[in-house]
Amino acid sequence: MEDYIVEMRHITKRFPGIVANDDVTVQIRRGEVYALLGENGAGKSTLMSMLFGMYEPDRGEIRIRGEKVTFRSSNDASALGIGMVHQHFKLVDNYTVAENIVLGREPMGKMLGFLPCVDMKGANRQIAELSKRFGLEVNPTDRIEDLPVSVRQRVEILKMLYREADILIFDEPTAVLTPQEIDFLLKIIGELRRGGKTIILITHKIEEIKKIADRCAILHRGKLVDVLDVASTSSQVMANMMVGRQVEFSSSKSAPHYRDTVLEVEHLTVRDANKFEVVKDVSFRIRGGEIFAIAGVSGNGQGELADAIAGMLRASGGTIRLNGADITDSSIRQRVEAGVSYIPEDRHGVGVFMDFDLSQNLALRRYYRPPFAKKGILDFDQFDGYAQRLIEEYDIRSGQGGRTSLRSMSGGNQQKAIIAREIEQHASLIIFVQPTRGLDIGAIENIHRQIIAERDKGAAVLLISLELDEIMELADTIGVIYNGQLLKIAEASTMTSHDVGKYMMGVKEA
Amino acid sequence: MKKAIDKLARALDDHRWGSLWVSLLSIFLSLVCASIILLVMGKNPLAAFQSFLQGAGFWPKASYGGGTGMLTDLFSFLNILAPMILASLSFIVGFKAGLFNIGISGQMLASGYLAISIVGYSQLNAVLAKPLVILIGVAAGGLLGVFIGFLKYKFNIHEVVSTIMVNHIINYLTGFFINTYYADPLTRTMKICGSHARLTWTNVQLAGVKCNVPLGLALALLAAFAVKFIFDKTVFGFELRAVGQNPTCARYTGIRVGSRIMASMMLSGMLAGLAGVTYYCGCYNTIVPKVLPDLGYDAIAVALLGNSSPIGAIFAAILISIFQTGSNYMSSSMGVAKEIASLITGILLLFSACGGFFRLMARRRLDRAADEAAPPASESGKEGAPHAG
Amino acid sequence: MLDKVFIDGLSFAAPLFIMAIGAIYSEKSGVTNLAIDGLQGFGAFVGALAAVILAPLMGEGNQAIIYIAMAAAFVGGGLYACVHALLCVKFRANQVISGVVVNILAMSLTTFLTTAMNKALTGGQSSNKFILGISSRFDFPVLCKIPVLGALFRNMYPFEWIILAISVAAWYLMYKTRFGMHLRACGENPQAVDAAGGDVARTRFVAVMLSGALSGVGGMCFAYSISANFSPNIYMGYGYLAIAAMIFGNWNILPTAAVCLFFGLAKSGGYQLCLRMGLPSNYSDLFMMLPYILTLLLLAFFSKKNHPPAAAGEAYDKGKR
Repeated sequence: MEDYIVEMRHITKRFPGIVANDDVTVQIRRGEVYALLGENGAGKSTLMSMLFGMYEPDRGEIRIRGEKVTFRSSNDASALGIGMVHQHFKLVDNYTVAENIVLGREPMGKMLGFLPCVDMKGANRQIAELSKRFGLEVNPTDRIEDLPVSVRQRVEILKMLYREADILIFDEPTAVLTPQEIDFLLKIIGELRRGGKTIILITHKIEEIKKIADRCAILHRGKLVDVLDVASTSSQVMANMMVGRQVEFSSSKSAPHYRDTVLEVEHLTVRDANKFEVVKDVSFRIRGGEIFAIAGVSGNGQGELADAIAGMLRASGGTIRLNGADITDSSIRQRVEAGVSYIPEDRHGVGVFMDFDLSQNLALRRYYRPPFAKKGILDFDQFDGYAQRLIEEYDIRSGQGGRTSLRSMSGGNQQKAIIAREIEQHASLIIFVQPTRGLDIGAIENIHRQIIAERDKGAAVLLISLELDEIMELADTIGVIYNGQLLKIAEASTMTSHDVGKYMMGVKEA
Repeated sequence: MKKAIDKLARALDDHRWGSLWVSLLSIFLSLVCASIILLVMGKNPLAAFQSFLQGAGFWPKASYGGGTGMLTDLFSFLNILAPMILASLSFIVGFKAGLFNIGISGQMLASGYLAISIVGYSQLNAVLAKPLVILIGVAAGGLLGVFIGFLKYKFNIHEVVSTIMVNHIINYLTGFFINTYYADPLTRTMKICGSHARLTWTNVQLAGVKCNVPLGLALALLAAFAVKFIFDKTVFGFELRAVGQNPTCARYTGIRVGSRIMASMMLSGMLAGLAGVTYYCGCYNTIVPKVLPDLGYDAIAVALLGNSSPIGAIFAAILISIFQTGSNYMSSSMGVAKEIASLITGILLLFSACGGFFRLMARRRLDRAADEAAPPASESGKEGAPHAG
Repeated sequence: MLDKVFIDGLSFAAPLFIMAIGAIYSEKSGVTNLAIDGLQGFGAFVGALAAVILAPLMGEGNQAIIYIAMAAAFVGGGLYACVHALLCVKFRANQVISGVVVNILAMSLTTFLTTAMNKALTGGQSSNKFILGISSRFDFPVLCKIPVLGALFRNMYPFEWIILAISVAAWYLMYKTRFGMHLRACGENPQAVDAAGGDVARTRFVAVMLSGALSGVGGMCFAYSISANFSPNIYMGYGYLAIAAMIFGNWNILPTAAVCLFFGLAKSGGYQLCLRMGLPSNYSDLFMMLPYILTLLLLAFFSKKNHPPAAAGEAYDKGKR
């Protein structure tokens, strides 16, 4: 009988309409780095959420250090020394680092000698010590909203260490980091293992697993495919098992054929709602037939840059020209009609009306014009016909055709609908922001093919992504944004991902 | 029992008719609550409900005064119904665009006051006076609505707060003017509006009894169908619904959100103004100073109960108007405070607000039932099913 | 005359302030609360009911009744707030609708109950008012001797001191204790609280109940200070003034106190000015509009700059990630 610190046996978890985990068994040894590999939607996060007490399994049992346990909340899990860094950080933005770390387990003191109160001074001291001990540098009194993503992640790790967890779960920890930050994180994970911690790493990136993990469980569509010894398995084998079929590592992108300049941005400056300059004096141009990708760590102004070009934010300085015409002060609709398409980052918040049906969402860019509307009266037959065509051409899966409510469609199909709607504009400039976020690998490949196809048809493509892999794969030209400034613009073929990573962290000369 | 609940859950979850079932369930639960209150007070609920219907002219009373009859009561019910429908339409128009017009009372008061003070004491003949009253009502309400929309769009002031402030300002302002210039020394209310300016024909002989015939009702029904047409069929209505559902996405689509917010508040205010003139220069002919009409709040219950659909609102307005008009007769015949009518309206409002929860519960119940009936997990993870993250 | 402005101003500002603290508690926990007007009215109703029932037993004019009435209003407001909490936290209803519903229901419920209770208590007399005793006033020793500002400490209602004590306690609870820390986090990022082992639903529920309890006390004070009775006239929209004060105060307790004081002084100052100018009594209506107009003006200047709690207005969904 081996000494397993965590055992999850025959776990099944259903959500309405789907089976997220189907009879999955994983057994994790004390002190190892155990990776969970799978595509988006394979059920990795759900499985770990159950280990962390956020859900209860429908069937199966969990054993920690040999004892059978039932978790009612994450409190129960953390009492047994389980900690988790979630993919979306669970931090209170206007609290300090220390306040976030001690939240839920605050050290208590006395005010005026008798009133119980939270002892923040003591907490600050404790966090400073903790951060020194583990080499995770943070300032306890900084506010989270002022900190970059990589520091926020450190805060999340410290949160686990403060609670003295020895089973640490990392959910896709590298998704938004630069290559250099990833190296640092992997080093930290290695040190934590040496310190006796057991680490579970959820990821869909095989190279990280090769670098750090001891063993690896592969999940596909909710089922456990296999558990492998990492050292003795090749990357290609893991990739095939993860996707459930043969995958090609190289993309089929041809060399670009550049045409005339489509978008010209000069000295663009943008302020956010708090009058804070988030885009500073940015200049670049994109030619027809070119994919211009902007790389950068989240929150460096790339979102605002896209919003400014699409007209969602006003430029406070500089000019934007489309096909030679100045559109700096044009309204959103004027820009759309002049040839700007925009696939926004926030699908649900910006891209679609969740409670409108598919046909209306597909017609959002043209509902007010004939043949969809005549003299202000809508013609719904036209909506249905148009939707039918797009559903077939773009393979959008929906239960009741054009009359399906967007809310009832899967994320991948919602994104397909947005992309179909924007591509059908046949615009000269298409802006893609995080077009593949949260989608599974099949959908990602499909969207990448569409982006390249639009380029080859002569459109200028502005691609903004936090995933460096995506940028390296698609870009013809790369611009790196840091703190609102474009630090570097270069042909994609002249840079490695490590070069880009350095600029992403603000290093001027690589 | 279990079967009945399952059946109810399926009805509530129905794509097309679910919202109707939610409204019916809300009404049923409210009547149950009202019955319990009446029982606690030692009254027979059935007799009470019957006397509501008698008071509203739907059921014959034991005896009538000289020259009046059931038809008289029915017409006085219709007189209340007209502003009730208009006021609820006012709320619906704002609500569909994501705005809560709680200022219907104030808008009604302002337009009623202006109409009476400008036209009500004039020497104009009826053919000119009546359209002028309508015009004043629409203009006054519309202007107030635009003002609220402007505050929302330009200064980001929540419309619930600003409409309440405006309500009280109008209340005191009209109160001051009525008391200072137009007060009837005997009744201390506003001097009576001349019959030429009223939107109700008074003392019409119908089937041998005296009736007050509301012109406003035709206006209200017309408005209901117009609102339905605007939201179902026009680009303008589509844009209002878009703004109401997600202003950011509406902006992304290219809709000018600010102008749409102001337009919707203007339309809402115009309907409230219409409600105001049909109320003060139709149903009644005077204004009690410094009293905001309850009808402006009852209209919210009507709109929610009618699932914010114009046609649904007509039926909801009928129900709530029965309670409001029937309350006096019910009070005198049963000895229950007439304020119980407002209480029943309040309870209806409460249950209507829970409508989403009823549907959620129904959905959960059906999901659970479906899960229990589902085959073992390993067979159901089929191709094309949506994935969990 | 300046004395009168200070004395009346403070007696209006204090109840407004405690209602605003109530609103802050609810909104900081992530529940938008437009129900303050209804909560204060219902609280005042329960308090007034207690006073009316106890008055014959304890003797008219017994000042202890006032304190009991305020305690009853605290409890009554808190219990009635459960309706809003239930709708917003448990039933996940739209929080703005819920607020409006709770207000309207409070109005109809208290009006009906007052009439019905009056009938029962007085034997057939139908009236929609509860007549309350008159609260005595006192001078605060030493401080009342300060020139000009000393008026703030003269001729005070006892409730002004209770409110001061409660507001200090409310500040301590909000900023110094574990509960307060969780409460504020619930309004910014409920997921963080959930992951840290806190109970978002319970925290919010308690916050809304506290909000109702504090509003109830405020309503009771209005009933005593403005009219010495409870009637449907209590719904004058003062709850919304408190909400406006909270917005100018940027959801923080101390700045909100300053705004409430400003409201109070503006109202009493306007009224005294009206008396001074020797205008007939119906002109006072024009001065009654002052706080509302002031609110609109202030909102126009301050609304855009403020930061409401990030998660206010959204029901918390445990499953959402």
